[in-house]
Amino acid sequence: MTSAADVIVIGGGVIGSAVTYYLSREGVKVSLVERGDVASGTSSACDGNILAIDKVPGYDSQVTLKSQKLLAELTESLDYDLEYAQRGSVLVVEDENQERVARDWFSRQKEAGLPMRYLAGKEVFEDEPLLASDVVGLVECASDASLNPMAFVYGLVDTARRAGAMVHPFTEVTGILRDSVGTVCGVETTRGTMSANKVVLAAGVWTPALAASVGVNVRIEPRKGHILVAERSPRPARRKVQEFGYLLAKFGGTEGRNVEAEMDQYGIAMVFEPTEHGNFLIGSSREFVGFDRCCNHHILELMARRALRFFPTIRDIHIIRSYAGLRPYTPDHLPIVSPVPTVPGLYVAAGHEGDGIGLAPITGKVISEMILGEPTSIPTEPLRLDRFKNKK
Amino acid sequence: MDDDTIVCRCEEATVGEIKQAIREGAVDVTGVKRRTRAGMGLCQGRTCERIVMRILSQELGKPMSEFEPDTVRTPVQPVTFGLLAEGAHD
Repeated sequence: MTSAADVIVIGGGVIGSAVTYYLSREGVKVSLVERGDVASGTSSACDGNILAIDKVPGYDSQVTLKSQKLLAELTESLDYDLEYAQRGSVLVVEDENQERVARDWFSRQKEAGLPMRYLAGKEVFEDEPLLASDVVGLVECASDASLNPMAFVYGLVDTARRAGAMVHPFTEVTGILRDSVGTVCGVETTRGTMSANKVVLAAGVWTPALAASVGVNVRIEPRKGHILVAERSPRPARRKVQEFGYLLAKFGGTEGRNVEAEMDQYGIAMVFEPTEHGNFLIGSSREFVGFDRCCNHHILELMARRALRFFPTIRDIHIIRSYAGLRPYTPDHLPIVSPVPTVPGLYVAAGHEGDGIGLAPITGKVISEMILGEPTSIPTEPLRLDRFKNKK
Repeated sequence: MDDDTIVCRCEEATVGEIKQAIREGAVDVTGVKRRTRAGMGLCQGRTCERIVMRILSQELGKPMSEFEPDTVRTPVQPVTFGLLAEGAHD
């Protein structure tokens, strides 16, 4: 099989699908190449958050806000039920120690333009009556939303296909091809050669291996995260709830949370997400253990215990499944959305860690703008591939 | 089987929905599950998995033996948050 396109996108997860969608919408001829089924890697083993609340106040949270707006548009333009719900989300503040940090976080996010509220005392339990009675505050972001991540991928891919994109599942890229001057000219796959003069690497945690084949260093590592799935049941909260300590686990701090060493060792922090089907998901854990996707039973036990600390009423609700996914981590928690300076025609769109679902719209749009030579919707300097060059 | 026949009782996925998922690109039990929720419910596919495999076999013209069950993940039986959390004290 030899086929020609303008752009080849490698990776049929949420990022590659969004890139394919935005390019196809502009009339660009795209081939999407995926080793397995679409939505079968990290995008099938995550939750469906579109959160600005847990981003670093400033650039990070503003970019997310922009992506949330694009997503609201996508729910209209994709002919697929994304199970999208915009109910906002809250961070639970455990005690007075956390309160100071939380109030500061709240003001900085508000300053960055996010629709934030701080609830204290009685207001907390008017908002979420089933929270543990000793928590002291809630930080709310009203624009936060959730959806079904796999439905999101199917919706993007289906719509792109109808706009002319060629989708090649179960096709593995075995090499990136370059011409005599080093410019990208296609890819070699298990089903033949495909030619194109632009190639986008959107393979999440598997991006560094592909990039290394053309001598490019991509600073992404797999960071494993577990999730518990609860049966359909009366839900302990009506929308997304995370413990404020989640921010500490995410950004690597250990101060300000009174938990056993093991909870910090596995980066465990309570994250609750109701789904549109009446189940709920409980996260989270964070560890660097290579590419192993098997569930660690002890971590699941600790996660259940942490969930009970905030929602004592779920004690008798059943867990029906667990899974673990590999989040593409970068050292500064920002994704890489960038041309590759040393290989003309090659782009990287990866490294979104736990924010891939939420940042997929803005990532897809920006890569499309870069390829078409248009001004980008957001400043892209902080997302450059070579920003890690001079750092350890 | 009629298109309206329910295959997965937990999640109410029908024959028609499963056939549609196969037309959209599902080639195995997991692909059908992700597109239709068949097997995502309380029984985790114990009841419907064989039927899903039979529909896949018919629609894709491949023998049943070529289809594997979905990945088995913990817990193998539903377990309460209370019981699982107690294990953390061991």
